[in-house]
Amino acid sequence: MNTIFALIRPRVLSAVNNLRQSNKKNNWARILMYGTLGLVFWIGTFIIFYRVLLYFQSVQDFGNILAMKLISMIIMTFFMLLLFSNIINCLSHLYLSHDLPLLHSLPVSSRDIFFSRWIISAFDSSWMIVAFSLPVFLSYGIIYKADVIYYVVFLIAMIFMCLIAAVLSGMIVLFGARILPAGRIRTILILLGVMMVMILIFILRLTRPEQLVNPDSFASVVLYLNSMQTPNSPFLPTTWITEAIKAALHHETKNALFNIALTGTFAFMLIFINNTFAQIAYFKGFSKSQTTPRRLFYPFKYKSFNWENLLSFLPRESKAFAVKEIRTFFRDSSQWPQLFLMAALIAIYLYNFSVLPLDQSPVKTIYLQNLFSFLNIGLAASVLSAISARFVFPAVSMEGEAFWIIQAAPVSTKKFLWIKFFLYYIPLLILAEVLVIFSNLLLRVSSFMMFLSTITLFCLVPAVVGLATGLGAIYADFKSENPAQVVTGFGGLLFMILSFSLIALVIILEAGPIYYIFMVQLRGGSLSFIQMIWTVCSFGLAFLLCLSAVFYTIHLGGKSLLIK
Amino acid sequence: MIKLEELTKDYGTTLAVNKLSLNVGAGEIYGFIGPNGAGKTTTIRLMGGILAPTSGKIIIGGYDMAKNSVEGKKMIGFVPDRPFLYEKLTGMEFMRFSADLYGVPRDIFEKKARELLQQFALWDWADELIEAYSHGMKQRLIIATALLHDPRILIIDEPMVGLDPAAVYMVKDILKELASRQTTIFISTHTLSIAEDLCHRIGLIHKGTLLAQGSLDELKHIAKLGEARLEEVFLTIIKENTFI
Repeated sequence: MNTIFALIRPRVLSAVNNLRQSNKKNNWARILMYGTLGLVFWIGTFIIFYRVLLYFQSVQDFGNILAMKLISMIIMTFFMLLLFSNIINCLSHLYLSHDLPLLHSLPVSSRDIFFSRWIISAFDSSWMIVAFSLPVFLSYGIIYKADVIYYVVFLIAMIFMCLIAAVLSGMIVLFGARILPAGRIRTILILLGVMMVMILIFILRLTRPEQLVNPDSFASVVLYLNSMQTPNSPFLPTTWITEAIKAALHHETKNALFNIALTGTFAFMLIFINNTFAQIAYFKGFSKSQTTPRRLFYPFKYKSFNWENLLSFLPRESKAFAVKEIRTFFRDSSQWPQLFLMAALIAIYLYNFSVLPLDQSPVKTIYLQNLFSFLNIGLAASVLSAISARFVFPAVSMEGEAFWIIQAAPVSTKKFLWIKFFLYYIPLLILAEVLVIFSNLLLRVSSFMMFLSTITLFCLVPAVVGLATGLGAIYADFKSENPAQVVTGFGGLLFMILSFSLIALVIILEAGPIYYIFMVQLRGGSLSFIQMIWTVCSFGLAFLLCLSAVFYTIHLGGKSLLIK
Repeated sequence: MIKLEELTKDYGTTLAVNKLSLNVGAGEIYGFIGPNGAGKTTTIRLMGGILAPTSGKIIIGGYDMAKNSVEGKKMIGFVPDRPFLYEKLTGMEFMRFSADLYGVPRDIFEKKARELLQQFALWDWADELIEAYSHGMKQRLIIATALLHDPRILIIDEPMVGLDPAAVYMVKDILKELASRQTTIFISTHTLSIAEDLCHRIGLIHKGTLLAQGSLDELKHIAKLGEARLEEVFLTIIKENTFI
């Protein structure tokens, strides 16, 4: 056990030293910012669940059934999330970390290395889910006037659930690493990405949230929810956890303790099996993962066709960067699942618009169509922000330790950033415009709204991409083991806040003038002089905001790269 | 070709380079030696335009790196101490990328790249991803790429790390030949025998300060040693902190 603690210690010490870093002021600002955001999210979750449960209580007969059904759905969702995040973390901690060769050279057993890494991975994957399950179950406790046993049972149940998910993930990863060819461990991530997409689409098709708009169908929705077959086999740990929490909520202590004991013994049994399995399989799998990875796909060559020629219109340096960026991006298999997820996000986005029951709403369809179209600008821009956060923000950090090549090359850092900007700006602009045009077509909006949406996005896309590029350069981390994760740091958070604020500002600035223009079009007549001035000023200000977001942040990013 | 004037780099907690001044002429091989943490790599990174100095001037081929770094960098072939490259590119793709940035004429690129890859025994690996290369192969690829645009100045940090004896011999030969063609070479190294074999002049840096510089004979004189190896000269000067 001492060895395991010794192996975990560097991680703990690194975290402590990170907090103790010289720039204490900055650290506190970060902690305050993260803390506030976390608290807002925590309180928000609590309020939403509290109100939903309060509403359920007011629905006769069905209220309690719905609340209990919701518990089993929440437990199932949390368990799936835990499983997925544990698999990703296990892969990284057990097979891909740079410090693993050093650990394996030490006089410690591979079982101890496995166990210490598994503990870290389980903690990393679980703490956030546990933290955000608290407001959910706290609201249940308050609504159902639960006693202290409920809270104790809930906490223990959550810990056991985390342990079970972590052990199962560990087993899946151990097994995967044994059967996959050496160096192909990341392929698991691709498979997981595809699986995730399929699950998402599957869930979407099943839940059909659009039905909730129609009050007439509410009874059938309740029945639908009730009949939704969340797995409730008595052999599943999620069933025991759900039953334990439900029983504790209804003051059935014996039943709660029985289920919690069942869960606990199962968790510890799994840990024992996992440990034994790791003793046999871990080192062989690790050894396999250390061999040189073979290319999954070799370049497809068709006669004299070369895709690089499509970029020949670019200046030579820009083309070199573009070719390098495209190649490294698509050859990195860890990027692929993200692309699948992005495709799923877009499919769901468009699907939502296609099934909106506008005709069944008491509000006039023309108002709704145009209101949705206007809100759609913000939504599309927000989707774009999320995509930029994942792909554009880490783009500079993705240069990694090879950034010296850029620094030593006869290319200024600003030029380098502008090239990066345009590399992402063009595809994201096409994507955003396609999103907004297709959703507007599905909404059958007026030509004015179509025009406005496309123009607004034409200005917002460079602003968001510029913010991501500039801030990505300011907060670049060239030493990160996983540069794609830099977005989870302070810079990424700042980008998301600034990006959403910018989108909100532009939408707010446009809202007033658009309302006047829309009403004028609907009722006939023309804009008054003051309305015209207001329109010009609002649109002008929105345009200036977008422009400064691009130029100022890239300027700051360029300056920041010079001193890195 | 290389002129450093009162060059200083202060990291805040460490003064890595302290008022360093030196000149290296065309065709000269200048060896930069010193103990660990002396400031060698920082100086090299400053010269390569990878770090910005706190104060002082760097003139490369007549260009002030603070004002016209892009033109200065075009004259440099830079080889860092650790071979970090774009792992997802093949060797040939990386060379093409570099050639595009340094403006190597397209019509001569293929021939030149092939020659260099063959010279550095990498031709058979040209179309393999760099992630499959060994440490030494990556180091050879970096050196080959640095020579692609016929630089007038070659700045190399620890050139022989990770190379096998045959490659060390080959690199030494190439550097001598480049110097004979008036290429200026600035080498930082721990391997004193390499500095002894290759360099026309040697600079000795310790705690960010240039303690001594000159030919091996001049350094022996400074260290007040008669017949001695560079190793003894190095240890004597470091111990006594003898200044120029």
